[in-house]
Amino acid sequence: MAMGAPSMFTLGRLTEYQVIGRHLPTDANPAPKLYRMRIFAPNTVVAKSRFWYFLMKLRKVKKANGEIVSLNVIHEKRPLKVKNFGIWIRYDSRSGTHNMYKEYREMSRTDAVEALYQDMAARHRSRFRSIHILKVVELEKNDDVKRPYIKQLLTKNLKFPLPHRVSKAAGTKIFVGKRPSTFY
Amino acid sequence: MSATLEATANQKKTFGKSTREVPHHSQKASKWYPAEDEAQHKKVRKSIRTSAPRSTLTPGAVLILLAGRFRGKRVVLLSNLPQGVLLVTGPFKVNGVPLRRVNARYVIATSYKIDLAGLDSKKIEEVSAEGYFTADKAEKKKGEEAFFKQGEKPEKKKPSSSRAADQKAVDKALLATIKKEPFLISYLSSTFSLRKGDRPHEMVW
Amino acid sequence: MGDAEIKASSWRLVEVGRVCLIHGGPSDGKLATIVEIIDHKRALVDGPATDTKIAVPRQSIALAQLILTPLVLEKLPRAARTGVVAAAWKKADIEAKWQESAWAKKRTQKERRRALTDFERFKVMRLKKQARFEVRKSLAKVKASA
Repeated sequence: MAMGAPSMFTLGRLTEYQVIGRHLPTDANPAPKLYRMRIFAPNTVVAKSRFWYFLMKLRKVKKANGEIVSLNVIHEKRPLKVKNFGIWIRYDSRSGTHNMYKEYREMSRTDAVEALYQDMAARHRSRFRSIHILKVVELEKNDDVKRPYIKQLLTKNLKFPLPHRVSKAAGTKIFVGKRPSTFY
Repeated sequence: MSATLEATANQKKTFGKSTREVPHHSQKASKWYPAEDEAQHKKVRKSIRTSAPRSTLTPGAVLILLAGRFRGKRVVLLSNLPQGVLLVTGPFKVNGVPLRRVNARYVIATSYKIDLAGLDSKKIEEVSAEGYFTADKAEKKKGEEAFFKQGEKPEKKKPSSSRAADQKAVDKALLATIKKEPFLISYLSSTFSLRKGDRPHEMVW
Repeated sequence: MGDAEIKASSWRLVEVGRVCLIHGGPSDGKLATIVEIIDHKRALVDGPATDTKIAVPRQSIALAQLILTPLVLEKLPRAARTGVVAAAWKKADIEAKWQESAWAKKRTQKERRRALTDFERFKVMRLKKQARFEVRKSLAKVKASA
């Protein structure tokens, strides 16, 4: 398994892979074209599988007559910086296929894609298999952010209270003489 | 060896005119099989292992007894006897626990250690020798006299004077060192018990 | 009806520069400051304390795991790097202020009490009893004279 990839038991936590493959060389074409994809997958096996799935849709190459040339993990360049990401997806709903654009505020591209899958599962009950990620872009300028749910987090001097909280210590005793205060 | 061979050797017997060698009667095969299989005794495959005391059970450690007549008492460990048995003393004057053997399993070792430097090691050896605690068993009267004495109060057990002397000899030096540390005497004379909210598995001893 | 006095609520705010105590998780009991708000449930925090017991590396953390303290690093720029945060932390003297607070003192006392051995627990109990006895004695004296 490639370095930095999560183990099989943490399936679901995604890693970004760069997969390069090509058609097998033939007499007619001894040097076939290389195809490169950036794929978000839980492990290398899924990454290669997704590569062939997408390549078959785009070109006349399949796993039987092709080969993987290289496969490596793409690491986040600055994993401690908070960034805004725009993600374009194609998604099969129960009644049709739709294109979508969504924005996420995360620390890495993989975090953003994970959040996307969770979000799509929550809002549209969609599964991993029904989503194609078309493009993941870091929005460097705040003006590029389109969605209000991310825009609201970019206001200057953002501050807010945590008005109601249940303290964790309140749950330790079964009976207490005083009602727990949630004021914070 | 040869004598037994001689005894069970074949014997010549005459039957009419001829003689024949006949096996000794003990050598002959049995006429019948046993009706039931004879039970074979199980072989004991266990071996007596030497017990290693816990690392916290070093002589001089203050222990909390968890079971028995003196449960809850804090006592001083004198030495480790074989088979996971501990020799402890109260000291008797402090909390009433005499020189006594206890099971290492039913004991919490605290981290406090008392210096046993002034103690007579010979005396402790004598006490921890095998048979010290078991030797004197009073022979019981039986028969008519005992039967008629049932209703009466039994004679009260008296501590043997030699044991009492041993107790004093051991405790004397121990008490001298215990008195030097403030609060230690009252600590040893107090008993341990769990209070509300106490979590023994999370406590430091 | 009496006169209603209207006051602005004095909530502690989630804001850049707010010093927080981390509660639960692997870095339980550490002190950190909010460097950037990620969203309504998470923040990027950094704890550049010199005392390794309360220092914590820069990380994203759920607000549910934070307890906001009254301490704030004033005018900390958004998404400041660790060096800048450490300088501001030192300048504001956060560590000393935290150690002085009754909250921190109570925490250290609790920790100390939890680490006591059996004999030490006994001594604490006896000394507390003695102190209580003295207090009650003097109180009785005052009451008798009054």
